[in-house]
Amino acid sequence: MFSLRVRGRGRTSALGVLCLSSPAWAADAPASAPAAPVSADAPAPTSDAPPPAPPAAAPVSEAEMRALTEALGADAQAVQAGSAPAPAAASGGAKPAAPAAAGNTGGLDLALILDVAGAWFSDDEPLQAGGHDPNHTGFTFQQLELSAGATVDPFFRFDTNIVFGLFGVEVEEAYGSTLALPGNLQVRAGQFLTRFGRLNGTHPHAWSFADQPLVNGRYFGSEGSRGLGAELSWLSPLPWYVELVGSATEAAGECCARSFYGGDDLGVDGVGDLLYTTALKQFFPFTGSASLLWGLSAQFGPNASGNGNRTEIYGTDLYLRFRPVDSSERRAFSWQTEVMHRRRQVPHDVLTDLGGYTQVVANWSPDWETGLRAERVLPLDGDDPELAEPEAKYAAAVTWHPSHFSRLRLQTSVADRGGASDLVYGALLALELVTGTHGAHAF
Amino acid sequence: MSFTGVIVLALLGVLASVGDAKAKVRVAATTGTLAAIAGDVGGELVEVTALSAPTEDPHYVDARPNLVLTLNHTDLLVATGLELEVGWLPNLQKSARNPEIGPGGRGYYEAHTALSHLAEVATGRVDRAQGDIHAGGNPHYLYDPRAGAEVAIGLGTKLAELDPANAATYVTRAQSVAAKYRSVGETQRARFAALSAEQRRVVSYHASWPYLLDWLALEQVETVEPKPGIAPSPAHVATVLQRMRATGAKAVLQEEFYPRGTSEKLSSLAGAKLVVVPGAVRFGTQTYPEFVGQIAEALHAALGG
Repeated sequence: MFSLRVRGRGRTSALGVLCLSSPAWAADAPASAPAAPVSADAPAPTSDAPPPAPPAAAPVSEAEMRALTEALGADAQAVQAGSAPAPAAASGGAKPAAPAAAGNTGGLDLALILDVAGAWFSDDEPLQAGGHDPNHTGFTFQQLELSAGATVDPFFRFDTNIVFGLFGVEVEEAYGSTLALPGNLQVRAGQFLTRFGRLNGTHPHAWSFADQPLVNGRYFGSEGSRGLGAELSWLSPLPWYVELVGSATEAAGECCARSFYGGDDLGVDGVGDLLYTTALKQFFPFTGSASLLWGLSAQFGPNASGNGNRTEIYGTDLYLRFRPVDSSERRAFSWQTEVMHRRRQVPHDVLTDLGGYTQVVANWSPDWETGLRAERVLPLDGDDPELAEPEAKYAAAVTWHPSHFSRLRLQTSVADRGGASDLVYGALLALELVTGTHGAHAF
Repeated sequence: MSFTGVIVLALLGVLASVGDAKAKVRVAATTGTLAAIAGDVGGELVEVTALSAPTEDPHYVDARPNLVLTLNHTDLLVATGLELEVGWLPNLQKSARNPEIGPGGRGYYEAHTALSHLAEVATGRVDRAQGDIHAGGNPHYLYDPRAGAEVAIGLGTKLAELDPANAATYVTRAQSVAAKYRSVGETQRARFAALSAEQRRVVSYHASWPYLLDWLALEQVETVEPKPGIAPSPAHVATVLQRMRATGAKAVLQEEFYPRGTSEKLSSLAGAKLVVVPGAVRFGTQTYPEFVGQIAEALHAALGG
């Protein structure tokens, strides 16, 4: 493990150097569209006169234009490097400060996140559906996540989450996001978690409980809904936040598309063989302190039962948050709920079921957090051997943050596996450590 | 909704944004203080929004999606920098679909780049065992109006670059705004100069004050937090109390967004006064000179001047 880390660091510095040197060509690119950069790089202003007017109608020769374009490229480079000379009028005592360690060079942000837990369950088969859940009595190495990200150039950002287990490595996410598409559009491409619902697109260290909700494990898989593909999202020009998301990904993978092709990859013969995820996200800030995020999501794709059979999952998610912005205790309360309905065509039958969870989380101070969660997955129609009985689980968690970078979580749960099986009681203590530069979290 | 529907809506969105003729430079500032300075420099030529409430700790602001919307329509994003906003701003910039205000964009301005002097720039190895420190320098520079003056000049230059037609106005106004800030600074500095060395000793909650200490020539004997961002422990608080008694520090200084219980107890045990001050300008109802003046007045009163 140690050697891996060292190698990772070495690569980082190489990438950092690449990023530092990239403005040379990056700055050239916009110059091919002369109109914008010309106005952008207007002469430095002086206090006594407005910028000089452009000289009248003398035509600019091709050679002159080329010279101008080159000069603009060089200027833009100087501005980006922060070494542009300060205009004379503005130099009153202001020398540009050059902090040696200022972290804004666009280098690679690297973080290592460790999740380990010790757990006890009253039964050998507890109701834990997540791939990183503690799921047996004893210690569990939940994951070691290497999270890295950087701005590639003015046009792309790169993010990756590589998860190490004790005996293997998986590329959980590795994708590029566009930064400069017109029309409020953004594209992600690569391997990524789909944006179905609220929890699926996030990683365990952003969760308020030490395990994945049951419904996510049953419908998407132990790793949540993710895959290789492309996603287009659009921020609407409406006066409140409305974002539309659509993605197409591979439909295979027991870990991450188990309601679709799952473990039986039937391949892609046409557009109908891909998994489509769509989502509509809306945000309503009632006050500076109270707000609501509401999402509607749907997934459509083929399943492995043959004959062109298909699966559909529909979901809605609510996140109500109250965080008084004038509280010195820095308290926050949130209520999060996701409900999903699944419909699968199988030979001679249609299986439908319903699942969801609801949780309340209270942050009493920056150090202490408590949470309660109730979950349920229940078959509605059809004869599904995998989900014959309704399942339910209830959990309570107390989390202590010694600092912003570490947390200790005590969680207890009771699970009802349905039918005549006994209730399963569980208790676990989970430790999380975050080192390095970890990017900001979404709301 | 069908895919064609999405495309049609997207095209409508493009048309709508093209038709939106812009009159004023739209400025979004991460804190009320930066918003107030930008408002002073830009005047009627700009439209300023503060992204956080003045009562909020600028280290921890919720990256609410409505801020994505604000940044989508922003021409100039002004941030404190030095990683103060690192926990929330980068995500907003990434989601805003506005490359101008993204990292490296022409419309993204980190105000610390205007400063001639930064406090507590890390030298040597940075380790989180030191707490949540900002390696590039202490980011709480706007508690010193002399730094505020430099930021005003820097913002004037930036606005002139973004809005060349009004360049002269920005630059001239930045000069006069800076002069006003400096004169407020000098007045207060002169008042504090009359205090004795013993009266100049303060305890602060978080390490937010190196610039203010330098401005008013005060001495910080301890911080209530043992290390930046680490909650005080009983043992450390006992040390602080001993230090207060030994040095005769007469004030505990903290921003309003930090918990007060420990500081209240400490001040009463040590016979000192607790000075709770706002962390940022109440943008819209207060000016920057009023804000720094309020902090200096409260401190001066507590220090028995």
